[in-house]
Amino acid sequence: MSLLDRLTRGHLTDRQFAELWATSQSTGVTHPHLDACADCRRRFEAFDRWVNGIGDELRTEADDAFPAERLTVQQAQIARRLETLERPARVLAFPRAARAVISGNSHVRRWVTVAAAAGLIAGVGLGQVFQLPGSLLKPPAAVTAVALTQPQTQKIAKELRPENSSINDEELLSDAFTRSRVTTLNALDDMTPHARDLALTRRGK
Amino acid sequence: MSGTSPALVAAREADAAAASAVKALQAAGQLEEARERYAELVARHQRRAARIAYHYLRDAAEADEAVQDAFVKAYQHLASFREELPFDVWFTRILINGCLDRIKARTRRERWLLPMSGKSAPVDGSSAERDVTDRVAAGGQSPEQALLGRERRQQIAAALSKLPERQRSVFVLSHVEGRTSREVSALTGLNESTVRVHLFRAIRKLRGLLADDTVDAAPGELKGKRRVTS
Repeated sequence: MSLLDRLTRGHLTDRQFAELWATSQSTGVTHPHLDACADCRRRFEAFDRWVNGIGDELRTEADDAFPAERLTVQQAQIARRLETLERPARVLAFPRAARAVISGNSHVRRWVTVAAAAGLIAGVGLGQVFQLPGSLLKPPAAVTAVALTQPQTQKIAKELRPENSSINDEELLSDAFTRSRVTTLNALDDMTPHARDLALTRRGK
Repeated sequence: MSGTSPALVAAREADAAAASAVKALQAAGQLEEARERYAELVARHQRRAARIAYHYLRDAAEADEAVQDAFVKAYQHLASFREELPFDVWFTRILINGCLDRIKARTRRERWLLPMSGKSAPVDGSSAERDVTDRVAAGGQSPEQALLGRERRQQIAAALSKLPERQRSVFVLSHVEGRTSREVSALTGLNESTVRVHLFRAIRKLRGLLADDTVDAAPGELKGKRRVTS
């Protein structure tokens, strides 16, 4: 039977079957066309079988996931959970060894700790009040600046200089006080005031 | 499914009696007896709860935890249970709320984690990992039948997972668990007519997703429908 044929003859569609099926489940009301049309009745019965088949398959699937042994285990777990609900919560004692190490419950240990702390404080206080003999409390020797004469400086420099050094320090330093080696720049050098010259002039005064 | 069957009425009466007894024992401080009595309720509703949780969460281990949590929570809050409401409806609501909380938590978690294989959640759960030979031995099916059945179940599960959350809830509760629209309304907090609309839409969508299963449907109706690949 084609769709066009069904529409022209007023047969029920799948949509109407679904609606009818959903309504008839709760109200028991059927479509009057079903009583009159054997073809639609047959199709509706097939539709009903199809829907019921889905329900059966879904039930089977769920029952496969929950076999009897699983349900038994589940029942036992529920019973256990209910039992634990009614039992008051039990506070577990802290391990004894850990408590002994951490808290130090003994009076003797507490007194020893207090005495040690008091002794330390008294010792430091006494040390501040009285000057103890010995080098422990002596102030360190003061570092004094010694003014060296030029010959002494030269002697020390000579001692410190390595024997085979190719650089002469005196030459290097005196070179800085000499005039420029480039003769063309001498005029410019004469015009430039030097701090060293000023110092020497003042010292000469 | 339209009315309430006598068996269901009897079961609900038994539930109400057991729940009242547990409440009284809890109040009297006879906790061991209360637990023993409550175990009856657990045994009676456990499988159904597992099915619902499994269809919500699509993971057997997580569904297991959700069921346990729901039973423990129900026991703790049994004092607030009103006898005029069926125990299974009250309990299922606790279970569904727990499942929805887990789904939310999972979504939040997955937002920060990279998916391992492109799938956000296992579609077929741990059952799919089981050896086919186990099922053959258990069900007396041929390996081919077992494999086809497994494939079909995977297709249905994949199609169901594509439904919006409310449609899926309504479909599972009303169809897989056989609840009436009124009960589904009480369980989900939706209006009864809204439940019917969601159920209708769920069926229509499933029909489209599982087009290959449409036995006896007219050829014109199947055109353009796609097959769900798991």
